[in-house]
Amino acid sequence: MSKPIIETHQLTKQYGEFTAVNNLELSINEGEIVGFLGPNGAGKTTTLLMLMGLSVPTSGTATVGGYDVVEESKQVRQIAGMMPEGSGYYEDLTARQNLQYIGQLNDIPKDEVDNRIDELLEAVDLVKWADTKVEKFSRGMKQRLGISEVLIKQPKIAFFDEPTLGLDPKSTKELRDILLKLNKEQGLTIFLSSHLLHEVQQTCQRVLIIRRGKLVAADTIANLSNNLLSKDMSSIEFELTEIDSDLIQKLNDVSGVKSVEQQNHKLFVNLENGNVREVSETITKHGSIILLMKPRTFSLEEIFLDYYKED
Amino acid sequence: MAGVLTICRKELSDHLGSKRYLLLFALIVVLSVLSAYTGSEYIRDNPNSSFTSIFSGSMNSSFSFIYLMVLFGPIIGLALGFDAINRERTRGSLSVILSQPIFRDSILNGKFIAGVAALSLLAVSTVGIITGISIPMLGYGPGGEDILRIGLFTLLTILYLSIWLAVGLLFSTMTKSTTTSILMSISTWLFFSILISILATLVANAVVPVEVASGFQMVQGGNQTMGDIRDLEDMASAFNRTQTFQQTETSEYMESMEENANLEATIQKISPTYLYEEASQSLLGVTEGGFGQGGNPFQALETTQSVSSSWPQVTVLAVVLIACFASSYMLFLRQEIRAGG
Repeated sequence: MSKPIIETHQLTKQYGEFTAVNNLELSINEGEIVGFLGPNGAGKTTTLLMLMGLSVPTSGTATVGGYDVVEESKQVRQIAGMMPEGSGYYEDLTARQNLQYIGQLNDIPKDEVDNRIDELLEAVDLVKWADTKVEKFSRGMKQRLGISEVLIKQPKIAFFDEPTLGLDPKSTKELRDILLKLNKEQGLTIFLSSHLLHEVQQTCQRVLIIRRGKLVAADTIANLSNNLLSKDMSSIEFELTEIDSDLIQKLNDVSGVKSVEQQNHKLFVNLENGNVREVSETITKHGSIILLMKPRTFSLEEIFLDYYKED
Repeated sequence: MAGVLTICRKELSDHLGSKRYLLLFALIVVLSVLSAYTGSEYIRDNPNSSFTSIFSGSMNSSFSFIYLMVLFGPIIGLALGFDAINRERTRGSLSVILSQPIFRDSILNGKFIAGVAALSLLAVSTVGIITGISIPMLGYGPGGEDILRIGLFTLLTILYLSIWLAVGLLFSTMTKSTTTSILMSISTWLFFSILISILATLVANAVVPVEVASGFQMVQGGNQTMGDIRDLEDMASAFNRTQTFQQTETSEYMESMEENANLEATIQKISPTYLYEEASQSLLGVTEGGFGQGGNPFQALETTQSVSSSWPQVTVLAVVLIACFASSYMLFLRQEIRAGG
């Protein structure tokens, strides 16, 4: 079991009367890719800012890489990098000059900075554009430059705040591949804040769901999916050649079947007693052919919406 | 410390390469050259005046380097500072810089030092150019004491320009958008370089009205031609002429006029431009004895005397600078970095 690299304890941030982050308890292990989910205004960015030592918590504590985010914020920023939401660059400087500036601010020796810049530009596929002014860059190129700015300090932890917002699918995939590669090759801990559920589902091993400043879920997507079904209930997904109301009526009459949902060619049969055999026999007898049959899994969207159904 | 140096280096190279700075630099150099011409003309007309009068010219003909600084100094300083922080904030680069292992105050310090360096370069080179081109025009160069005075005057000019830089920095910290801070800067500039003297006159005239009588008009007439009055005798005869017209009321007029003038000066003293003007005149040793105080217009003070007589103004200027910088410092350190900007 690896040790936690980010830990918060009753972390709270208030802006006047408004509580942006409420008694947040987090524990993130080294080398994890964690998705931080919540709609706009749920407290994601505020949490990130506190973890980077840029915003002072109203109460509670947090440590990043063993450093206290208030007392040792400079050390935190030495080992952690962040790509803030809507981060900007010096448009009148080239990609290389932007990176050099960030490198200098991190007190990295010049030769070392130049070496790292070459490697990073290679990794984010910007070598061709190294000496082009950033004002000419497309949005995707700027985001890739942003990633290399985070990585130039060779951080142990990287925070990304909505990194793919406004990117086209191709750029999004490229970005995701870069992140996954870094995690695999260098063991980089990645903390990804996003409200793009699909992206998080594709990238993250574990998700945290924050709702009105409170953490409401922290688990793997598989576990969260299982949690959606109440105990002793199972749900089977079928894909059939033919679905009609008669079949649905017949299925409902099978003992143990609680409900049947139809979504286009799919049927979701919720069972209480695990009587799968009778269900499938009923379908075949009716004359339909089963193209697919598997235990139902919930998409992250369904999980997410379940946590937010009260709103 | 490394953070401050890095930021300072970047900001300075930004300034020196920016169109804004180069444009102002060119404008000031051209105007300075012109002021050197009028200055040397004044010296030729007044053989008693010292070399340093090249910067002040005649008190009454308005075009001089000092006047140039009164008029354009604020806009130079403000131009280098008004968008220092809020531009980075709107562009989104501020949060990127802040997530590097530096302290927040390094950003402000670095930007301020870079600004002062750029302003110093401007001040030193223009003063140098004026001195340089005046030598062939006059046929002689500054003496040792003149050089000392010019050096002190240059330092004063840097201090004065830095005040406006600090005011600009304060505006850029206070406001979110550069449009707001540019408007604030322009109003500040207009107020301190032009409006304040008009305002001071209006207020002084309202509080201590000077009755417009023939005596006063004569005195005014005398004042306008003061540049031509060569010595005390001329002045005295001007007085006598006035007195013969309005003998009984002269002392009253003189009193109310002096009060009026004092009030006007007191009001203007809230302006760094006025303080700079006063301090540079005494540092350059070109203070003219005020009319009615009976001083010899061209009796130069010793350098040490000059320094001590300019001390109050210099102190106030320094306090203004520190106050502006400290306020932006406190504002910036307290400002929350929040979600969405």
